[in-house]
Amino acid sequence: MDKKWGVYFCTGCGIGDALDIDALAKVAKSEFKQQNCKNHPFLCSKEGIDTIKADIADGVNTLVIPACSSRAKYEEFRFGPGIIVERVNLREQAAWTHEVDDEDTQMLGEDLMRMAMTKVKLTELPEPWQVENLSKDVLVVGGGIAGMTAAMESAKAGYKVTIVEKGPALGGYVGKMYKVAPTKAPYDVLPDNPVPALTKALEDNPNVTVYTGATVESISGGPGTFDVKISGGADARAGAVILATGSVPFEAAKLGHLGYGKFPQVITQTDFEQLAIDGKLKNVERVGFIQCAGSRDSHFLSYCSAACCVESLKQARYLKEQNPAGQAYVFYKDLRAVGKYEYLYKQVQADGTVFIKGEVANIAGDGGKLTVEIDDAILGEKVAVQSLDYVVLANGMVPSTAFGTEPGQTEAEAEAATAKEKTEEDDIPKDVILKSDLLNLNYRQGPELPTLKYGFPDSHFVCFPYESRRTGIYAVGTVRNPMHVGAAIEDATGGAMKAIQCIEGCAAGKALHPRSGDESYPEFAMQRCTQCKRCTEECPFGAINEDEKGNPLPELTRCRRCGTCMGACPERIISFKNYSVGMIGNMAKAIEVPDEDEEKPRILIFACENDAIPALDMAGLGRLQYNAWVRVIPVRCLGSLNLVWIADAMSKGFDGVMLLGCKHGDDYQCHFMKGSELAEIRLSKVSETLDRLGLESERVRFKAINIMDYTLIPSILDDFAQKIDELGPNPMKGF
Amino acid sequence: MSADKEQATPRYAPDFHQEFRKIENGEYASQCMQCGLCAVTCPSREMMDYTPRAFFKLIHAGEKEKVMKANTPWLCTSCYLCTVRCPRGIPIVDVMHGLKHELAQKSSKDGVALLSKVFFKTFMKRGRLFELGFTNGFMMGLGPPKALKVTLKQQDCALDMVKHKRLPFFPPKKIKGAGQLKKIYNKAAALQKEAHKDGV
Repeated sequence: MDKKWGVYFCTGCGIGDALDIDALAKVAKSEFKQQNCKNHPFLCSKEGIDTIKADIADGVNTLVIPACSSRAKYEEFRFGPGIIVERVNLREQAAWTHEVDDEDTQMLGEDLMRMAMTKVKLTELPEPWQVENLSKDVLVVGGGIAGMTAAMESAKAGYKVTIVEKGPALGGYVGKMYKVAPTKAPYDVLPDNPVPALTKALEDNPNVTVYTGATVESISGGPGTFDVKISGGADARAGAVILATGSVPFEAAKLGHLGYGKFPQVITQTDFEQLAIDGKLKNVERVGFIQCAGSRDSHFLSYCSAACCVESLKQARYLKEQNPAGQAYVFYKDLRAVGKYEYLYKQVQADGTVFIKGEVANIAGDGGKLTVEIDDAILGEKVAVQSLDYVVLANGMVPSTAFGTEPGQTEAEAEAATAKEKTEEDDIPKDVILKSDLLNLNYRQGPELPTLKYGFPDSHFVCFPYESRRTGIYAVGTVRNPMHVGAAIEDATGGAMKAIQCIEGCAAGKALHPRSGDESYPEFAMQRCTQCKRCTEECPFGAINEDEKGNPLPELTRCRRCGTCMGACPERIISFKNYSVGMIGNMAKAIEVPDEDEEKPRILIFACENDAIPALDMAGLGRLQYNAWVRVIPVRCLGSLNLVWIADAMSKGFDGVMLLGCKHGDDYQCHFMKGSELAEIRLSKVSETLDRLGLESERVRFKAINIMDYTLIPSILDDFAQKIDELGPNPMKGF
Repeated sequence: MSADKEQATPRYAPDFHQEFRKIENGEYASQCMQCGLCAVTCPSREMMDYTPRAFFKLIHAGEKEKVMKANTPWLCTSCYLCTVRCPRGIPIVDVMHGLKHELAQKSSKDGVALLSKVFFKTFMKRGRLFELGFTNGFMMGLGPPKALKVTLKQQDCALDMVKHKRLPFFPPKKIKGAGQLKKIYNKAAALQKEAHKDGV
């Protein structure tokens, strides 16, 4: 496209007082030959916007807006398709965080201008990548309450749905229940099981196809183009996949210490549901419920299943319902009646159920009746509760994804692994993918969703609960996270919404979460590819398959546009229309590095757009002051950091380089799962390069930061500046 | 599983727990979840045999004897701090009150219950307390042997009170409209009875 530029300075919010705007305009005019520079004291006002719009009407299509952060006023400065907009953050990064009307602040402002102008010079308008034969159907794997809800919600929104259920009928675990825990106020009446009505509704819905007694044999392709083979010969094409295969109760046979298998009256919650369905509780007098049977115990199930307390409360009500004289006891370690279920708990207490806190010490049988001995934590003694007709074990849940071997665990694969020489890539942590035979993805990276702890296929519990690390595949219900029925219904509804977003995003050629709406995509200059496989190995989303020769085969609808492949590629052949190795490298080169004798060191900061840049903005909003030596280049994710940038910056004469990215490790906050971790691994290899240049490795530093840490920004930046000052100037300066 | 061979005591028989629910406001006792906020709040907790939390636990555990003999309800000063703070919304003061009422009805010979009863009787007569009359009434109720014991124990306190003119020999004047007070009392009693005629 022919770029017709316009540079629109805002002098409001103190920008005009802190910086000499005419001098900044001079940078655009003389260094970049762009004469169309305008000032406005209040650019985001209607009048200011109208100035820009009038220019757009005259053919201006490339806007540089030196004003506030791109995270502010984004509605005002959105000018529709076909227009390149680059916001220069003079306000948060210069005017508000540095001394007003100061030489160093002015130099910072000018460098910000140079970076932005260089970026825009190299930016091209992305054209959305449209996939052919896009399917807008939704595939739901698993026909339990979560799967049925997700299917129903998708169908109601007008999408065709295919449900694949392994069992002979829809319903899953909840289908075998007598009643369910209340899902709405007043939370003390148990509603009937919703499964029969939902099954009927799905069967009657023309948008829904149900395969029972079937499994998914294979899934290939990507979002919008999933080709699904279902056992029994059926094929389907889907735009998005919802994994709702649920969980199974923890194996009670392992709970011999609680009397399971020894006494027939020791049963599981599932058995108790059946007793209630059969109406057999009429003659039952006394029932004990043992909570956390095996749960929260490192020998069995380390986590809390979140639903068993609610289920036991519900089952205590069954007893009261069928035999009003019945007496229930609940033995618990901690009772977790999550959310509004506190009301159910209260109601069950009002029914006269007794709750006893402590560790169960022993279960003894005596003539058909059971005695539970418990170390009563509140009475402070060992107590026996006698003459129980049944003891019900709340045995927790294990996700269906947790069953299966890890690829590489079979003998042949293990041999192959040891035979392979240890290479550089071995440092990169591998995703744990268990062959649980649920999705059977034809992905180079493995057949199922990567799992985190305990076999749950979660990707980011706090920030994006529905996302998995395979784009377009959403885990909902208890397969994702232990949860009770009400939460599973809510979860499935959310999952259906995500699936629809995915389909519509693919149809429009736009990226999905977290870069929602991004129309750029990675392009591979294949003639220079050396088949090193780093891009396929490092892509956090498994977006790149490869052929037999090792050539990458990108599936662009799987791509989340983080640029991790771009950072990984040693040949630098991967780039986006508006984001590339060359562009960021040139931005760094555009910064003016003063000579050594001027005693103005320069520190280059690559900051992650997701958390570090917002933190810098927050620091700006808080008017926190830091040194004016720093120059910040935003990157999509630190995973896209290419080591050549650091080498270039060092040879250009920068005195230090800092990477600001998200926390990684067990409770990582990286929006692209492992980008910041990869960046740090790559950084550990940079010391070699620095040694070659005769530089101290302390000049390059990685720092994890999240938005809440914004108050630490000045100390982080100033401490680093002080360290750089101690090291002295970069000896490469001036070469 | 605990390794120690400590003998387990059979507890948690439901009879007393159910029985307690029939006492006025007693049904609330079931709803205690043992958080302990009442126990840390209660200004009388140091003197109580059991804090309100422990007291409720004993009810759940079916410890009738301990519950009925505890001084806990009698030391409740009705300050309402626990009631205000209870996250379960249990009107703890009302539960204690209901129990006191029950105990006063059942065991009129028992010290604290008797004291409460005599106190109320003396008070209703004039609308004011007459200390000497109250003390005498209490002693009479206790019977001579016990009364003597209490008198000997309390004599220093009594003498001190005389010295400070806190134990007048003649009864104080009736309040104005003592009859109205009686009416208020009767009405309240009738309302109470009406509200709890179904037992709960």
